Amino acid sequence: MLADGLFYIFAVLAVLGAGGLVVFRHPMNGAMSFVVTLISLAGLYALLSAKLIFALQLIVYAGAIMSLIVFIIMFLNIQTEDLPKEETKVVYILGSLVAVLPIGMLLFKIVRSLPDKTLAIMGGNFGGVKEVGLLLFKDWLVPFEIVSILLLVSLIGAVVLAGKRGTIK
Amino acid sequence: MIHNFLFLSVILFCLGIVGVIARRNVFTVFMSIELMLNAANLAFVAFSRIHESMDGHVLAMMVMAVAAAEAALALAVVILLHKHKGKLDTNVFSLLKG
Amino acid sequence: MGQSVNYLGLIPLFPLVGAVVIGLLHVFTCNKRRLPEKFYGLLACVGPALSFILALKVFIALKALPPESRFLSHKVFTWFSVGDLHIDMGFLADPLSCLMLLFVTFIGSLIHIYSIGYMGGDKNYGKFFAYMNLFLGSMLVLVLGDGPVVMFVGWEGVGLCSYLLISFYSEDRSNVLAGNKAFIVNRIGDLGFVLGMAFLFWAVGAQGFDYLSLKANVHQLTPGVALAVCLLLFVGATGKSAQIPLYVWLPDAMAGPTPVSALIHAATMVTAGVYMVARFSFIYAHVELAGTIVAWVGILTALLAAIFGMFQDDIKKILAYSTVSQLGYMFAGVGVAAYSAGIFHVFTHAFFKALLFLGAGSVIYALHHEQNIWKMGGLKAKMPKTYMTMVIGALALAGCPPFSGFFSKDEILYSALATGHIGIWLVGVLVAGMTAYYTFRMIFVVFHGEPRDHHAFEHAKESPSVMVVPLIILAVGAVFAGFLNFPGIMTISHWLEPSLTEAHHGSVILQVIAILASIAAFAVGIKIAYSKFGQGCPEPEFKGFAAFAYHKFYVDELYHAVIVRPYKAIGAAIWQVVEPNITDAPVQGASRLYILLGSAFKVFQVGYVRVYAIYMIVGLSIMSLFLSQSLN
Repeated sequence: MLADGLFYIFAVLAVLGAGGLVVFRHPMNGAMSFVVTLISLAGLYALLSAKLIFALQLIVYAGAIMSLIVFIIMFLNIQTEDLPKEETKVVYILGSLVAVLPIGMLLFKIVRSLPDKTLAIMGGNFGGVKEVGLLLFKDWLVPFEIVSILLLVSLIGAVVLAGKRGTIK
Repeated sequence: MIHNFLFLSVILFCLGIVGVIARRNVFTVFMSIELMLNAANLAFVAFSRIHESMDGHVLAMMVMAVAAAEAALALAVVILLHKHKGKLDTNVFSLLKG
Repeated sequence: MGQSVNYLGLIPLFPLVGAVVIGLLHVFTCNKRRLPEKFYGLLACVGPALSFILALKVFIALKALPPESRFLSHKVFTWFSVGDLHIDMGFLADPLSCLMLLFVTFIGSLIHIYSIGYMGGDKNYGKFFAYMNLFLGSMLVLVLGDGPVVMFVGWEGVGLCSYLLISFYSEDRSNVLAGNKAFIVNRIGDLGFVLGMAFLFWAVGAQGFDYLSLKANVHQLTPGVALAVCLLLFVGATGKSAQIPLYVWLPDAMAGPTPVSALIHAATMVTAGVYMVARFSFIYAHVELAGTIVAWVGILTALLAAIFGMFQDDIKKILAYSTVSQLGYMFAGVGVAAYSAGIFHVFTHAFFKALLFLGAGSVIYALHHEQNIWKMGGLKAKMPKTYMTMVIGALALAGCPPFSGFFSKDEILYSALATGHIGIWLVGVLVAGMTAYYTFRMIFVVFHGEPRDHHAFEHAKESPSVMVVPLIILAVGAVFAGFLNFPGIMTISHWLEPSLTEAHHGSVILQVIAILASIAAFAVGIKIAYSKFGQGCPEPEFKGFAAFAYHKFYVDELYHAVIVRPYKAIGAAIWQVVEPNITDAPVQGASRLYILLGSAFKVFQVGYVRVYAIYMIVGLSIMSLFLSQSLN
């Protein structure tokens, strides 16, 4: 009962946040509503007994990635006149919704054909740190290492890209 | 019951696509991509709950790591583009024309 | 049935190999260090000489066989075999081809030796001998071929070499044009030949397309088909052997060096047509109408060419028209089914015409390439050996007994009379008189009287012996060759019997009438020539009919206006109208279509990445529409 209510609250918040991201003109406003979406998603993860992912979502996504994005938005010192004039924004959004509708319908159909299952909080430390860690370092070791190399690459790339070069006018 | 999570994931994903193709602001486009990634994460976790295996959680972690790396690089590119043209409009960069 | 040997293929091979070797040597050394001329000359004469020795061997081998099976065959390899058509590269030596073989190789060798002297100093010395050897090889393939297809290989080869050698002095444009004319006119004849061959194959060729098989199956031909085949093959002969209407190339072909005129356009290549008719005597004998047409075309050509020859002023052109005229006689002979008479005239004509040409070459050489007879005169004193041999040749040509021309020409005229072709006989006698006239006109103007160009006359002297000795040898042949077919004994006719399908006549009265008429014509002709030119005569001015004949009845101009100009106009019309609109337009249209399509699709390349993403999503949603249909 409580779980269903919580689910609906979180779901509505997530959709509203996503809608706000798409609709707002200034990216700061969009970023803020996106943070709302991320936090409600974290709640949804908790409802699915994914304890570690819930924590990581809040720490990494909402905490690190979003703060990076917000920092860059503020760094660039965007004024209203810098933003693109999107007069036909509404038309485009409605048109895109129409275009995306079939994809959505297909995915709905696919989901509906799956067997149903009740949501109960799982015991046995399902989704806990120790369990995920064991899996990560035993079955998923190689991808783990490769992802770490990926992070290294992006670190170097970011430094190279945004480092001191002559400004190209 | 679990279907609702998946429906929500689909809705968020489609909203993300709409954001990518309907808006011209680079930040909005980028954050819509992040939205799509999150929708996929939700689907992963939901499926791992269905199958009662934690592989989905591991994959969700990988996705988050990739999203972080991509965020860093994309923002670096955005800064460079802003330095180049002074505008944040994707329509300004049309050298691929023709 | 005959014998199979393995050396016949060598006879054409020796000159062909010689041609390749000399050609390669010339190509690789003509710009750097030139090889000495004697080297080329020696190398060039080896091939023909070896072929002559092998020809003698063939003759001896044939003599040893009984007449019913008197042939040697040599199959070198199978050329191709498609459906019913099976062609071997094979050679056949029977009495007819043996006779041709002997005089072709003998006179060919003599002319090669003569050319060593005549072509001295020319910078393309090696090239000349390569072409000459190539020609001799092709002619031998033509003569020795065992079927029409192999003969055609040689036929085309000699046509090619004729072109190459006529245009030999290629710095002068008119020489190249003469070579082109020869080749093109020949080609028109060749079309007739190929059609005749195709027709023949279609009718009887399935059981084998070589002479022996065709001869065995000839009774399967219907008269209509046989007539068509005969006439088509004769069209080829009119091209190669310069009869009406395709004779126009032979006078122009005198632009080539004189040994070429002697060998190709007098003794060997132009007689290929006559040889061909004799070879196919088994078909011609079936259809008398074809033979009559051949004979009339021949004798009319003889008349026309004799008229032209009476008025020409270039010594080589006189001899060229004389050749056309004598070829007309040969065709008249084979047309009235006197095949051996025609071949006998080929044989004697080769000797005295080659002699006359080489003698003319000697005169030209001595006067530093002067060819107009009205600039010569009185050379009798300066060039006695040339004079003597040329007089012998002229007497043989004019038909004076007991020289060879008398016997062969008389044989043809007697056959015409004996088979009832009185018209042909009368025209033939008239032409004999004209022949005597123009031949001795030439002799008297060139060698008798006062010299007309004193400067050239001072420097003239007898030619070197490498040129004079062949003249003497040929003169001996011109004198004595006639006795090989003395009326009554008829050695050559009997020798040729196994190869030809011929009926023999025997009427002493007609024989005597023919002989007397021939002698009378000769006497009248030479008397008129002597009275006009014997004591020296200035260059005449031609008026009326004479001027018309001097310009060769404007036949060349007529052909040019009626055939060449319209043809070129058609070509120009096609080039300017048909080609841009019909052949180029679709191709260019296709390319323009693609450019248009490209411009149409260019609309989609806007340059905005967002729009590309939209394309992707739209495509994806259309795909999902279809997928969700199929799901349920």
